[in-house]
Amino acid sequence: MFDNIISGFGAILSVGPILGIIAGVIIGIIFGAIPGISGIMAIAIILPLTFYVDPIIGITMLLAVYKAGIYGGSISAILINTPGAAASFLTAVDGNALTKAGKAGKALDISLFSSVSGEMLATLVLILVAAPISAISLQAGPIEKVFLLLFAFTVIGTLAGESIPRGLLSCCLGMLFAMVGMSTITGASRFTFGYTELMAGFTFTPMLIGILVMPEVINVIRRRRVPHHEMMITHSPDPADNRISFKEFRSVFRTILKSSGIGTFIGALPGLGSSTAAFIAYGEAKRTSKKPEEYGKGSVEGIAAAESANNAVCGSSMIPMLTLSIPGDDVAALLMGAFLIHGLTPGPLIFFEHTETIYAIFAGFLITDLFLLGIAKSGFRFFVKIASLRRYYIFPCVTVFAFTGAFTAGQNMNDILILIAFTIMGYSMRVFGLNPAVFIIGFILTPFLEQNLDQALAIVGTDYHLFFASPFSWVFIALSAFFVYSSIRMRNKAARTPQEKAV
Amino acid sequence: MKNTKKTLLALAGALAVSFSAGAMAEYPEKPINVIVPYGAGGDSDLTTRIWADAVEKELGVPVVVINKAGGGGVVGTSFVANSKNDGYTLINAGLGNMLVTPNFSKTPYDFGSFEPVVKMTAVPLAVVVAEDSPYTNFDEFVAGAKANKLTQGSWGASSSGTILANIIADQAGYSVKYVHAKGAAASMVSVIGGHIDSAVSFPPAFGPHVKADRARALVMNQKMDAFPGVPTFADYGIEGSFEGWSGVFAPKGVPQEVVDKLVAATTKVMKDPQVMKAYENIGAVIDFRQGPEWVADMKVTYDIMKDAAAKVKK
Repeated sequence: MFDNIISGFGAILSVGPILGIIAGVIIGIIFGAIPGISGIMAIAIILPLTFYVDPIIGITMLLAVYKAGIYGGSISAILINTPGAAASFLTAVDGNALTKAGKAGKALDISLFSSVSGEMLATLVLILVAAPISAISLQAGPIEKVFLLLFAFTVIGTLAGESIPRGLLSCCLGMLFAMVGMSTITGASRFTFGYTELMAGFTFTPMLIGILVMPEVINVIRRRRVPHHEMMITHSPDPADNRISFKEFRSVFRTILKSSGIGTFIGALPGLGSSTAAFIAYGEAKRTSKKPEEYGKGSVEGIAAAESANNAVCGSSMIPMLTLSIPGDDVAALLMGAFLIHGLTPGPLIFFEHTETIYAIFAGFLITDLFLLGIAKSGFRFFVKIASLRRYYIFPCVTVFAFTGAFTAGQNMNDILILIAFTIMGYSMRVFGLNPAVFIIGFILTPFLEQNLDQALAIVGTDYHLFFASPFSWVFIALSAFFVYSSIRMRNKAARTPQEKAV
Repeated sequence: MKNTKKTLLALAGALAVSFSAGAMAEYPEKPINVIVPYGAGGDSDLTTRIWADAVEKELGVPVVVINKAGGGGVVGTSFVANSKNDGYTLINAGLGNMLVTPNFSKTPYDFGSFEPVVKMTAVPLAVVVAEDSPYTNFDEFVAGAKANKLTQGSWGASSSGTILANIIADQAGYSVKYVHAKGAAASMVSVIGGHIDSAVSFPPAFGPHVKADRARALVMNQKMDAFPGVPTFADYGIEGSFEGWSGVFAPKGVPQEVVDKLVAATTKVMKDPQVMKAYENIGAVIDFRQGPEWVADMKVTYDIMKDAAAKVKK
């Protein structure tokens, strides 16, 4: 395996992939830092452009956008308290408190260092465990995958969003939309209402852009009278406030390790994302902290916990996608599309069939972390300038990119109609408090559940007891039960102490 | 009077002929669009791109490949069926969207909506098992399938794979339980993982696994150098052609000159070693065919599919 990694480094260390990574990191930080836009939107928009380059370049570039995008979210969170993504919510709480105290430099530093540490650790885990897991996951057939997916749905239902009924409704809507089109199993048309255009179902990229990106544009138009926030890094006369000392970094290193571990674990479970990881790691860090009273009022430790956890998700969310071909969240689903278009089919066999490409991509993952560290550290000022461009310059461009992106994916005018329809839908969902991310996950996972359930039923026939014959099944049944139990407990606890609900 | 009318008619006729001949002599005078009714990067897309790149140089105009995916190929295919039959909009079609889908679902087009131009490649169907399977040859597999209810991977109840697999099973006198995955490649994961007993598959999907000793092809539609020693269906007395294929079609009523030009260009490029190598790389067998004989063959397959569909609908 080590020679694979070394040859991977050989493949990645050439002009094309390095330029791709640099471009990806810059695009990711900018998109992440602009309030209202996030890394996933950047991925959705530039995905079609990567079809025309080598898979190693295209995929490492997308992954660089992903990683840098999650980090970039913390810049606007810290400076003007507008988290670009839900995952940066906690960073905004503590980071902006530090900014107000004149310690913006310190906050930006710790968020960068813990993001990169979290990513590095998760990437190492990914590299070390993905191939062995893929060997095991070959043993997981349709029956086992049905239980894994049921577990994923349980997790979404119990953890996503603040309201269980709204979360469940969002998920069910996603499932319903996923059923439109020709059934891959029987060939029957469902919910197409006679339109042949709908026989393949809704195209993912335009739908995703419609649900996630365009409603933000509408929001900006609605909030056009809200005054513009100029972002700037305040400079404190005391140099210790503008950076993080080695001693400070060492004092939070244990927190970073633990939070990265939590992030890696959460990322590896299908259905959860970086915001869940950030909340859980933050809560855990606060519970075990020596200075819990600082949390929420500018705790360096708190930023470290949230940022290392949400960035660790980037690496580990690749695990279920690569080994079981089940994308764990919306970003993984987009990246899976990119893999497929480049002729790399995610699944247990990808490590046999495309060893070189996969390890080159892994090597690219590690190198991206170094570039992120270097580019972000040296260009703080530049990124802050770009991110504080006035909204009426940024959002028209986003709209153009969104429409172009939706069209180029399939070069099909119908995709534009899908984009518009889902823009309306995505905006309405926000109005009614439904969760767009959960909708997308429901949409993504449903075809996998359907297909595996059908295969499982065909294999089992009338011997239904075979459903429970595998230890895998029992592991996932137990995990599902545990998640339902713990979420009920968490909710009861939250109900008793309503003021701590945010954490 | 009568004579004048005759002369005028003759003149008009001659004019029309010379006009159309004059116009046709210039074909192609602008870029030709080839629609691929599936997404970029798939087998169908790759086959088309190799052809388009090669004939472009012969014809002297750009040959642009456009992906119009959707509806299991129906969207792109309907689009071409309704396009102008001037030879500037063509389609790369195959067994699935040309002969299978029109029989199994309501489509706005049929086999008769198109003018077959040229067949480029074929991919032979095979029955594949895992390397550690108890069935080492097709006879053992047939015996096993008669004794136990074996599972077989395919891609959809009314897909080309399942229909061909059913015809094979009928002739050999066994039946299997189908486990449908998204495509021939996805089934291979279940075969190798030991979750299903066998699969019907194509060389691009099973080839890498056979070469790496993870899977074994028991029987194939035709001999291939890449898989020596694998017998053919004919060796077991099973009649019929079991292959996926890829060919270029134009909307019905396209001028014969267009067809001739395209066939001539294709004839030339199919002998090019670079083109042959490109097709070999993606696991397709060059099967260059055109004309009435090819159309008659397709008609036979079409009728087989029609019967199969009638059985399903009953």
